[in-house]
Amino acid sequence: MTEILESLQFVYGPQVANGLAIGVAVILMALGLTIIFGLLDVINMSHGEFYALGAYLAVTLVGQGVNFWLCLALVPVAMAAIGYFTERALIQRVFHTKDRHILTLLLTFGLAIIAEDAFKLAYGPNPYKPESPISGASEILGIMLPNYRLFLIAAGGAIIVAVWLVVYRTTLGAMVRAAAWDKNMAASLGVPVERVYAGTFAFGVALAGLSGVLLAPIYSVFPTMGKDFILMAFTVVIVGGMGSIKGAVIAGLVLTQIQSISSLFISPVWSDPLVFGIMVLFLMVRPQGLAGRLGHG
Amino acid sequence: MKTLKICAALAAVFAAGQVQAQGAPIKIGVVTPLTGTYAGIGQQVKWGIDMAIKEINDKGGIMGRKVEAIYEDEEANPNVAVQKAEKLFQVSKVDFLTGTVNSGSTLAVGQVAERNQRLAATTVSFSDAITGDKCSPNVFRVNAKAGMQSAALVEWMVKEKPSPSVFYLGPDYEMGRSTVAAFKSAAEKRGAKSVGEVFAPLDNKDYSPFFGQIRAARPQVLYTSVAGNDTVRFMSQLAEFGLAKNLQIVGAAGTVTAQNMKAIGKAADGYVTGAAYSAELDNPANKKFVADFKAAWKADPDLYGVDSYGVMYFYKAAVEKAGSTDTDKLRTAMRGLEWQTPQGKKTMRAGDHQAIQDMYAVKVTGGKFQIIAKVPGEAAVGPDTCTRF
Repeated sequence: MTEILESLQFVYGPQVANGLAIGVAVILMALGLTIIFGLLDVINMSHGEFYALGAYLAVTLVGQGVNFWLCLALVPVAMAAIGYFTERALIQRVFHTKDRHILTLLLTFGLAIIAEDAFKLAYGPNPYKPESPISGASEILGIMLPNYRLFLIAAGGAIIVAVWLVVYRTTLGAMVRAAAWDKNMAASLGVPVERVYAGTFAFGVALAGLSGVLLAPIYSVFPTMGKDFILMAFTVVIVGGMGSIKGAVIAGLVLTQIQSISSLFISPVWSDPLVFGIMVLFLMVRPQGLAGRLGHG
Repeated sequence: MKTLKICAALAAVFAAGQVQAQGAPIKIGVVTPLTGTYAGIGQQVKWGIDMAIKEINDKGGIMGRKVEAIYEDEEANPNVAVQKAEKLFQVSKVDFLTGTVNSGSTLAVGQVAERNQRLAATTVSFSDAITGDKCSPNVFRVNAKAGMQSAALVEWMVKEKPSPSVFYLGPDYEMGRSTVAAFKSAAEKRGAKSVGEVFAPLDNKDYSPFFGQIRAARPQVLYTSVAGNDTVRFMSQLAEFGLAKNLQIVGAAGTVTAQNMKAIGKAADGYVTGAAYSAELDNPANKKFVADFKAAWKADPDLYGVDSYGVMYFYKAAVEKAGSTDTDKLRTAMRGLEWQTPQGKKTMRAGDHQAIQDMYAVKVTGGKFQIIAKVPGEAAVGPDTCTRF
């Protein structure tokens, strides 16, 4: 009996709690990706590098003596500006062509390659890690969790709710959804479609940057970090339904739990293939994912 | 005046017998990576060798002959290393070859040396095979092999905590699994109790899914062979979860390095590993070596620099003992040779051409490796497994 209790307390309990913190991190990445895809129909291959850029900006600012909490506010603003500029200057140019899917994919993929090497040139190949602003760990029901991860779960949850509210409960969100549903009709009703597109891209990029700052104290900062969460985030977007916020949240939580718990029973290297296997199954059986597209239900 | 003339005449007569010895310099071929990933290591190799050669030449050379190094860039590629080694032996007619960094290059260059009936030595390569099942009568290793580092660490661990319980965590690929297996078998032989092991994927993001198992196993010691940024995440996450308290973390030589120590920060404090050298080594020869090295190159010497410096004194001692640069005489002289280095006295084991030297347990304290214990070379080197000669 004690053995079962002990494995619950030491093994399964922490596993679920840790999976939750990782799940929130993955959902934060997937949100920006799914919003950009749902509205602009653009698969943003450079999303991971925007996440890395956010983290590097935080490292630079913290190095200049800026408070970590202030970075949490400053970096998303800067990233939104960078995202807006990227959309207007680059993506707009190929957006209205016939090969939009391929061209935007290649364009953002190219951006990702350039960004990764730019990080190496600017910051060198060695890793950085900002000190965690909240230290220590708390015991909840006998499960030890670092305070910063508790904060991450709370802050991540708040961000997810805020994003949902913006998209579904504000006029701005209504414009975004209208543009996604029928671009021409929205334009004729006075929605500034082009600016909505750029604004949405900027919003997605700002979310990536915010995740970069939030996760830097846990996962450290280095040139190839953009590749870290991106596969998992794409999987979450596909399983959850491309463009669906609700779907991304559900898929993000479920898939990271599967990953976390399965690593107890199978070699950890196989928990990633397991999750990608689920993605392949979804693509074959239910390609639209758990929920529908943004603006479509 | 007359005596002086006689002396000069006598010297001339002796010199006639060894025209080559008196006239031409001794040529040392150095095949080392000067560009690419390992360029940093090649730089230390060059600094060490150049410094030793200058010292030796300033004191009259080896048996009156000046020493000269000829460098070739092997780009850390065994194929390139073979071509450059062949060129050095055939065209430049070098007497001795050294400098190779990765173990593949050392093994390949060893075969070139055998074909050319010349001797070669590595000052960097760690692979146990070089002086084990792939040993060569023409290849010597003056640096400590991989097995000696983990043996030194095991010796320190069982002294500190007799029959400790140990948990192992390695990256899931060849190097990770072989380092864990080697440390585990060495530790178990010395009475350690293994309480669990996990192999995490390379470039793993989050190690917290393994912390439950570690906590439940209640180990006294945690051995890890993760490297690079994986170490940054693993060690800082251990500290984040409060697991690092009451747990001695030990690991492989490449786990915590100057490159990632800063990012790990305070979480690196207390980490212990086995090492063959530290610039902090407290003996007069090392103090002088470190000061001279810094003055000459404006940089600190590392393990590769000191061993590459030492190989020149190994060669000098061997030539002086043999009284010749002839391959067979030199090989005989090198076997069992004792020579002095900044790391202390080294002995070249005759049976497998592996240098025996004292090893150290070093602990990270405030961003620096401090020596906390010395392990005698004989205890660390392990049995001779070479069967080719």
